[in-house]
Amino acid sequence: MARTPATSRRSLLFGTAAVSAGALLTACTSNEPTNQEKAADNAAPAADDKPGKPVTIGFAGPQADHGWLNAINDNAKTRAKKYSDVTLEITEGSNDTAQQIGQIQTLINKKVDVLVILPADGKALTQVGLQAMRAGIPVVNLDRVFASPQAYRCWIGGDNYGMGLNAGHYIGEQLKDKKNAKVVELAGLDNLELTQQRTKGFNDALKNYPNIKKVARQAADFTVESGQAKMAQLLQAQSSFDALWNHDDDQGVGALRAIDQAGRDDFLMVGGAGAKSAMDAIKAGNSVLKATVLYPPTMAASAIDLARALGQGKGVGGLAEFEIPTSLTLYSAVVTKDNVDQYLPTGFI
Amino acid sequence: MTQPATAAQKQAPTSAAKSAGDQESSRRPGLRWDVRSLSLLGVLAVLVAVGGITAPDQFLAWSNLQLVLTQASVIGVVTVGMTFVITSGGIDLSVGAMVALASVWATTVATQEFGFAGILFTAVIVGVGCGLVNGLLIAYGRMVPFIATLAMLASARGLALQITDGSTQVVTVGSVLDLGARDAYILGIPPLVLIFAAVTVIGWLLLNRTTFGRRTVAVGGNAEAARLAGIDVRRQRLYLYLLSGLCCGIAAFMLIVLSGSGQNTNGNLYELDAIAAAIIGGTLLSGGRGTIIGSVLGVLVFTTITNIFALNNLETAVQQIAKGAIIVAAVLVQRRSMRGGDA
Amino acid sequence: MAPQPPLLTMSGITKSFPGVRALDGVDLEVQAGEVHCLLGQNGAGKSTLIKVLAGAHQPDSGEITWRDKHVTLGSPIAAMRLGIATIYQELDLIEGLSVAENVFLGHEPTSAGFVVRGSAARTATAELLKRLGHSEIDPTTLVGDLSAAQQQIVSMARALSHEVRLIVMDEPSAALDPEEVDNLFRIVGDLTADGVSVIYISHRLEEIRRIGDRVTVLKEGRSVAGGLPAETTPTDEVVALMTGRNVEYVFPERPKAGFAAGRDPVLTVEGLTRRGEFAPVDLELRPGEIVGLAGLVGSGRSEILETIYGARKPDGGRVLIDGAPLRPGSVRAAVRAGIGLAPEERKAQGLLMLESVSSNVSISTLSRFARAGWLDRRNERAAAHQAVRELSLRPDNPDAAIRTLSGGNQQKAVLARWLLRGCKVLLLDEPTRGVDIGARAELYAVIRRLADEGLAVLLVSSEVPEVLGLADRVLVLREGSVVHTADARELDEHRVLDLVMEGSLTP
Repeated sequence: MARTPATSRRSLLFGTAAVSAGALLTACTSNEPTNQEKAADNAAPAADDKPGKPVTIGFAGPQADHGWLNAINDNAKTRAKKYSDVTLEITEGSNDTAQQIGQIQTLINKKVDVLVILPADGKALTQVGLQAMRAGIPVVNLDRVFASPQAYRCWIGGDNYGMGLNAGHYIGEQLKDKKNAKVVELAGLDNLELTQQRTKGFNDALKNYPNIKKVARQAADFTVESGQAKMAQLLQAQSSFDALWNHDDDQGVGALRAIDQAGRDDFLMVGGAGAKSAMDAIKAGNSVLKATVLYPPTMAASAIDLARALGQGKGVGGLAEFEIPTSLTLYSAVVTKDNVDQYLPTGFI
Repeated sequence: MTQPATAAQKQAPTSAAKSAGDQESSRRPGLRWDVRSLSLLGVLAVLVAVGGITAPDQFLAWSNLQLVLTQASVIGVVTVGMTFVITSGGIDLSVGAMVALASVWATTVATQEFGFAGILFTAVIVGVGCGLVNGLLIAYGRMVPFIATLAMLASARGLALQITDGSTQVVTVGSVLDLGARDAYILGIPPLVLIFAAVTVIGWLLLNRTTFGRRTVAVGGNAEAARLAGIDVRRQRLYLYLLSGLCCGIAAFMLIVLSGSGQNTNGNLYELDAIAAAIIGGTLLSGGRGTIIGSVLGVLVFTTITNIFALNNLETAVQQIAKGAIIVAAVLVQRRSMRGGDA
Repeated sequence: MAPQPPLLTMSGITKSFPGVRALDGVDLEVQAGEVHCLLGQNGAGKSTLIKVLAGAHQPDSGEITWRDKHVTLGSPIAAMRLGIATIYQELDLIEGLSVAENVFLGHEPTSAGFVVRGSAARTATAELLKRLGHSEIDPTTLVGDLSAAQQQIVSMARALSHEVRLIVMDEPSAALDPEEVDNLFRIVGDLTADGVSVIYISHRLEEIRRIGDRVTVLKEGRSVAGGLPAETTPTDEVVALMTGRNVEYVFPERPKAGFAAGRDPVLTVEGLTRRGEFAPVDLELRPGEIVGLAGLVGSGRSEILETIYGARKPDGGRVLIDGAPLRPGSVRAAVRAGIGLAPEERKAQGLLMLESVSSNVSISTLSRFARAGWLDRRNERAAAHQAVRELSLRPDNPDAAIRTLSGGNQQKAVLARWLLRGCKVLLLDEPTRGVDIGARAELYAVIRRLADEGLAVLLVSSEVPEVLGLADRVLVLREGSVVHTADARELDEHRVLDLVMEGSLTP
């Protein structure tokens, strides 16, 4: 994989000084202006790049033990660094609900201006979201939604159902002329609701294509190891099929390895989430992976934008309203060879 | 196996006659082992029958046998090491974390520059190093194995996460990838399966034919008696955790070959899988009795179950329920046949 | 014994386990207020019988009558409700709970049915302990912090915390000093005076004579004699019933006095001491000699053995083998120099209970049968076989599982281990504990023969007749100090008991 050289910590750990120190994940983000930064024509004061009132943003997320979550943190940090008027107070990520509550309460006590929270568990952290709102700190709820709308000022997140839907539509269009087409699904961790939503969207989309039948579904657990193991089994079980949707590009690394090991290239594969390695493979066009459906980690950068706008009392450009919306569901774009160059900078490692 | 058996037969006429009425069961313990392993073979045979009936075309294929053995090989090597530790009355909860740490350390960009040898060497050294720390803490620091290896679990996983920052480290060294490729055969056998087989054979010999194995059993059976018999119990414990770490290092290398990458989530819950396989194989959790063959059969039973479920496209929930039920059933069947062997 | 109906009658009790017929028709009749002794060699069925009585085992056939009514003892609780309490040989106390919590475990005094009234339990426990003559035990102490003898008292308090009519005591005196045994007998006397019956199991005939009323003898799962008068039945008759032979203590002949005097000592102990355990000890042991250490439990005798062996680290002094000092506190150094130990707790400290005889014998000599770590198992087995044969261990099968052997044969396996190793000094800690009478004589003969072959033996035993009968020289210990050293022939049991209790010879 073409990636930046290792960090100095890594090389130190291995005891060689051969590799020079490099910036953390420089390839990852995101100096590209996105739509909402362009000033709108109407009279509402919209956030822009110009320095405004200083804003302190508290950011609390889960432990970055997965490429996508790591990209979330990096997107937030890089975005905040871009604004001279933003100070980011970022907590050590934690998967422990109690610990995350404590961290958020600390941020409340520090009287940050705005909070951005990606909860380890949305339902369990609702109360602390309410606390913050009552204390007069607007909360931007990132991705995993709180149980009560009172617990956030604005929610921004991905669309798991839409991810499945778009993956299904893409595959449907690719196979629409094929009789008795067979499709296989390699799902993520089955214990998570988002996995069920993705599968539901995928199934709903396939209903539009009566010539396509989903013949098998197995759940991996977002790890390379499980992706390899489950995919190897699926390939053994299904001697031929036409398309594969894999929910997650991280486990997709393992799935691709299994496909390579089985010597199979008789189907097309669609990934999920938008890892850089997947996009590289799509661009190269030399593997079964033809597309991936985004679940963009850039949402963290957008969340910082929203938080800054909230802190400065501004709206977002491109909309007529004075205030920013309460809910923003992001579109799960399908990245193919045709548009991969546009998305490549957002691909995460 | 054959030589002692003939020696026992020569002995049989006198001893059998004398011991028959003497005590309940002075028959050789070896017999009971066979019953144990046989019952697990029976479970495996039932599974093969189920697989053959429900998915005849896919399950009974040669390629599927390769698949099952390959998938079993990584956890299988870990389980061999775990079997030694459990036989000695210990436990190693850190195996999964050691596999994770070894696999990510061996796949950093810096390590990969050293190619095949660098990756293999790093994986093994990291495994042995973690095992050394475990062993020193337990043998000379007098820590309870459960706590010492739990601490190792936490810190090794943490270090693995720190090295990767949560990202997947893809292997670019061709010779490593080739070892896990489709056409890679050594003597007609996939290399990973060959490593697994070699570790199994060496493990069996080590446990059953060497002073090391005998001392392991003695320490597990009665550490105080072993100490008073003049065995260096602490050194033995140190070696055992080193051995477990070594197995994890080898397994990490195998996982790198298999998945073509290193990730901090590797080896997830290996500790439970390895302990479960060893226990249903017939190794006593309290120590003093261990069987490599049983452990390997235990691993094969688990892998075959997973394989059959996947071939039949069963849901995760159903898989988990059935897996639990099969563990209980296997242990019950085993206990019953053991009791039969006792009578 | 008035002709009133018996408290308990068991008749024709049988019980089989897979492969063993443990009870094969046992009759037992216990009168109210009597001490009924149960005698039998290990494996005769005593343990199984008392487990049937405790409701822990269900008999296959036979009848149990309790105060003129047929009863089924379906569970330990059922037996307890009738008033049958059992004090097992292996104490079944929970070390992490306090004395009071142990005593009332399972029937705690409660408020509202579930709130434990700790103070009530403590008060009641204190009363029970006082009744047992051990008011010094604090009901709030953790049982794990008590001595074995005190734990025994707690066990007894637990039995008495129920409404009891019958108490079964399985070798209650095994871990006790003579003084404590006296206290035990006083308690037994009090109980029977109150009309409580006691079933008393012991290997020690002299105890049975002292407190027993009647004796039932078990042999191979059958009651071979019932209701014998305990005081008057001749010893040889009892032994004959138990074993089919006519022996009690038979000690092998000693060599002439002073035979070893001219030889160089193989083991020399100079000023060896451990604070709080024993004062500096000096000792010389010559080849062919058996030296005995006599003393009460807690007098430091086992500690001295274990310190010589390196299993405990001394605070001062040194141990020399053939004049060369040993590294202190190292078992491996001691073993390498030629010392062997048969520890006090055979099962817990000596044997690998899951293993074969052969593995147990060869464990200290493994490297001799190995080349580059590789075991020559045929050679190992043959050597182990020869070693156990020399000690006539039965069964004559090195592959037999050690746990299936009797206590005496297990002890022989431990001796065979050191015989195979070829050690010069053998330390024996309670070598005949749990070994039945018939097998003891054989063990004594083996020990003497090993000495005759040039071994030096240091013997610890809580049975004074054993030390006096087997040893050539005796060191008497009292509270961690050697108070007397003498030729064994110059001492008798009374003099030794005076020494250990008084510290000097009473005129």
